[in-house]
Amino acid sequence: MALTTVRTPEAVLRAETPQRGPGRAPRRRTPLTWVRGGGLSTLVLALPLLVVFGLFSWFPIVRAVVMSFQSTNLVTPAEWVGLENFQYVLADPLLPQAATNTLYFALLALVFGYPVPLVAAVLMSEVKRMRGLYAALAYLPVVVPPVVAVLLWKTFYDASDTGVFNTIAGWFGLGPFPWLQDQAWAMPSLVLEATWAAAGGTVIIYLAALTGVPPELYDAAEVDGAGVWRKVWHVTLPQLRGVLFVTFILQIIGTAQVFTEPYLFTGGGPANSTTTILLMIYHYAFGGRGDYGAATALSLMLAVVLAVLSAVYFKLTSRWSS
Amino acid sequence: MKSSRRKTALVLVGAMTVSALTACSSSDDDGGLTPAEASAAADEPVTIQVAIDEGLEQGAIDAFDTRIAEFEEENPNITVERQEYTWVGTTFAADLAGGTLPDVFTVPFTDGRGLIERQQVADISALVDELPYAEAFNPNIAAAGQGPDGGQQAIPIAAYGQAVHYNRGIFTEAGLDPDDPPTTWDEVRAAARTISEKTDATGFAEMTKSNTGGWILTTLVYAMGGRAQTVDGDTTTATIDTPEYREALQYLHDLRWEDDSMGDEFLYDWATSHADFGAGKIGMFVSGGGDYGNLATQNAMNPDDYGVTALPLEGEDGAVLGGGTLAAVNAKATDAEQAAAVRWIDFYYMSKLTDEDAAVADAQATADQGQPVGVPILPVFDQGTEDARREWIADLTNVPLDQFAPYSDRVVDQPLEAEPPVATQDLYAALDPVVQAVLTDEGADVDALLADAQAGVQTLIDRG
Amino acid sequence: MTAVTTPAPRPPAARRGRTPVPADPDRGIVSVADRRRRGVRWPLRASHVLLLVSLVVVGLGPILWLAKAAVTPTQDTLRTPLALFPHGVDWANLSEAWTRFEIDHYFGNTMWLALGSWAVQLVVAVSGGYVLSVLRPAYGKVLTALVLSTLFVPAVVLLVPLYLTVLDVPFAHVSLINSFWAVWLPAGASAFNVLLVKRFFDNLPREIFEAARVDGAGPFRVGWSIVVPMSKPILGVVSVFAFISAWKDFLWPLLVLRDVDKQPLSVRLPALESYVELDVFLAALAISTAIPIVIFLIFQRTFLQGAGLGGAVKG
Repeated sequence: MALTTVRTPEAVLRAETPQRGPGRAPRRRTPLTWVRGGGLSTLVLALPLLVVFGLFSWFPIVRAVVMSFQSTNLVTPAEWVGLENFQYVLADPLLPQAATNTLYFALLALVFGYPVPLVAAVLMSEVKRMRGLYAALAYLPVVVPPVVAVLLWKTFYDASDTGVFNTIAGWFGLGPFPWLQDQAWAMPSLVLEATWAAAGGTVIIYLAALTGVPPELYDAAEVDGAGVWRKVWHVTLPQLRGVLFVTFILQIIGTAQVFTEPYLFTGGGPANSTTTILLMIYHYAFGGRGDYGAATALSLMLAVVLAVLSAVYFKLTSRWSS
Repeated sequence: MKSSRRKTALVLVGAMTVSALTACSSSDDDGGLTPAEASAAADEPVTIQVAIDEGLEQGAIDAFDTRIAEFEEENPNITVERQEYTWVGTTFAADLAGGTLPDVFTVPFTDGRGLIERQQVADISALVDELPYAEAFNPNIAAAGQGPDGGQQAIPIAAYGQAVHYNRGIFTEAGLDPDDPPTTWDEVRAAARTISEKTDATGFAEMTKSNTGGWILTTLVYAMGGRAQTVDGDTTTATIDTPEYREALQYLHDLRWEDDSMGDEFLYDWATSHADFGAGKIGMFVSGGGDYGNLATQNAMNPDDYGVTALPLEGEDGAVLGGGTLAAVNAKATDAEQAAAVRWIDFYYMSKLTDEDAAVADAQATADQGQPVGVPILPVFDQGTEDARREWIADLTNVPLDQFAPYSDRVVDQPLEAEPPVATQDLYAALDPVVQAVLTDEGADVDALLADAQAGVQTLIDRG
Repeated sequence: MTAVTTPAPRPPAARRGRTPVPADPDRGIVSVADRRRRGVRWPLRASHVLLLVSLVVVGLGPILWLAKAAVTPTQDTLRTPLALFPHGVDWANLSEAWTRFEIDHYFGNTMWLALGSWAVQLVVAVSGGYVLSVLRPAYGKVLTALVLSTLFVPAVVLLVPLYLTVLDVPFAHVSLINSFWAVWLPAGASAFNVLLVKRFFDNLPREIFEAARVDGAGPFRVGWSIVVPMSKPILGVVSVFAFISAWKDFLWPLLVLRDVDKQPLSVRLPALESYVELDVFLAALAISTAIPIVIFLIFQRTFLQGAGLGGAVKG
């Protein structure tokens, strides 16, 4: 299960609509004709999907909903407690802060991670020679395993004046900065690393989208006398609108589930300034009290918010593509 | 000195007690294994997994393997496998829930009561009663591993009192006398300031993460005469929003913001603080008095630099916060495994405290691998037994005992006070962000922080 | 995902009048004519140089620093992190890191986890996609809807219930904790993969399957000798996604693989962080980085194509 990997419902959904070819002719349904008609083989072929999804997707989803109304400690039988878990979570003084932190993370991730890859990709798309080198360089941080990246950046963020970043800052007469050791600095530091680790992927996505922009549109714009900037503004960006929106939503959904960075960098500190919703869920469930009910209740609340986002996203994109 | 190494490896970071768990014990229906069942099970071939600290140097692993070989020779029916395990608050609950703990594992005193109440450890009390020293435990210490009926379901293997650890090399560099460490909190503050000014090291470091922030803050509070809880019959009241907590926080605040002698790392947990102390980046810090073993075997600290002194006590009720480590047996262990597990606990953790041959054998195996032998510890039994033990291994002792003197000479006369009894790790956890706030925000509103923590902890205490 | 199957549609060419330069199918924003203009050419060049320098500094810089720190003594890294070997090179770090972290063992675990996840995902996606798209049983629509619905459930919701499920798998009543299956099987429940493959199959000409059926080939035979060979392109995409996500996983293996011997490198590295001297630790990080980078450089094309497809969803 990749907690950080987000897939797009929309693209796959759209695939559902047109079914090609006529349906098969209706048959009389007896067990024998069913087997003869390949029904059994079909079922056997469907088994991997049925078993894997049944056990590791559908069942846990149902279980999540059930558990959020239960008090479960795995020793004594689960007890129905109605909305108690939800009330408990909503009354947790940490919740508003964790929610704010999560939003703040998402916002910073957009500020840091949204425009830069776009600019880089647009510039890169104009590179004629060795574009592969540019792309590979941009993508290199993505290849570094996320845990390694975090541990490496932890070294960079050494807050002493001989830390890596503080040494560099010192060249410009700045710093030393506290990086992770300060309530105001910690979150931006986390996002900076996360952006470094992820931006390359976004660049490549934009680059792929840019090659899909029909050259005729540029030709046409030139006929109308458009300069480079106007072409960027009136042709490139509108053509990228779709992919820009996709990455926007995906980034929000992805950052809402961020775990590795706060867990490994700061453990949620200093003073809860980097505690995210997922970290809270983790602590409810695995941090000591084993409060699985509260953990699933909070998960469900987060899921509803994300589902609404997904729905909005689906709605908008399907309108655009029609 | 495995026991001393182990002792605090576990106390560190806290995990609140886990209200969740798995599997029932194979024998919890009848309230534990009887000696008859145990002897019936005693000759069955059986394999048990036993805990070994994570991140050990190869020599320490080899010493452990030597002890396993000796044990297997004595008990031919038992096969012992080592399993890397260190009690850490943030993963212990998952280990417990996942049923992945070794058959023999260790937990801090703070977790014993809850685990026993929820039957998450095997009830080995009948087997413990058979041990020759069962009656000899210091009653205060034994209580940490006893069930409601008084049965000894987990065995205390080590006890400690908090201490101030200091780096002698850094003291010398800063012009301080390493043989005359500070004895009051004002002197600690002055020394921290001197160190910060004259060396690259952090004067005084403070753990803040994974419940250790609350743990060390409470240590300061105890030392300054306060307590974290009052118990009146069945009613437990948190006493966090109190002048003593404010005083302790003010003390940290002054070191941090007036003197700037706390360095620039404010997210230390147990492991990282010990790593930085071992690496010579920290002048002084407060932790369990027996941590030298960890520093030597996990952090490769230079023995010449190590120094430790007793915690300064102030006020009428100033006391040393004490704690310890329990050895417990996995609730899922079969009867035969439980019997074998208790034998291992007896062999590996206990007999070296009570039996000369065992003490020498353990010390020999440890010393042969160049690992530390002879770290002074607090007695699990009585002072006489502990004095005898030190005598037995005197020839093999390879730790610089005179560097421990400022601690070991004084700690025996200091009043030792147990950790807050109810929801201990929850209480520590609630105080982590308070300590972090004071250390990372000069204008932190201490009153509001303590009031919030008080309310939060009281809720958890009342929920049980 | 349009790009997977069909090229993006081009609008009908509505150009009128003269064409200033010959049409260049590879052209971008800046035309050949633009490039001839000094006001465009120099800034464009400058921007490319600037971009390259930034990419080297930002993308490659940290990795190069890590490579340097891996063979630098701890004290040098702490005191003068950006100086180049003031007190010489310490090659021994690398071999010490390799043995202390047993990198071969844990990297093997990482690969094994990725490989198993990949295989499970492929089996589920291909067989599932084949059933839903080609065989289309009566319950196919319901099944598709059920698979589809899981797309809207963020992974985080499943964390706790999935963990409890792995502790005690329904019906089988075994615990998968400390078993690689605990990572492999949940990885297979990827609606994204199934629907991606299904959609790819939807676009294959049905006549081929019908013809094969008429010739008497059963579902297995049609699947094995016709569908699988035809689905190579989509399998490449699924493989890249499967591998990358298995590669990046941290929290899940941390929870379900408590046995140190089975943990991937990503779980093992932070566990030893506090117990190993900084230079050796950085050497271990460097080795852990070098391996995937080498793999990336070898399969660069596949990686970048796969990554690009991630965004081609909008077509």
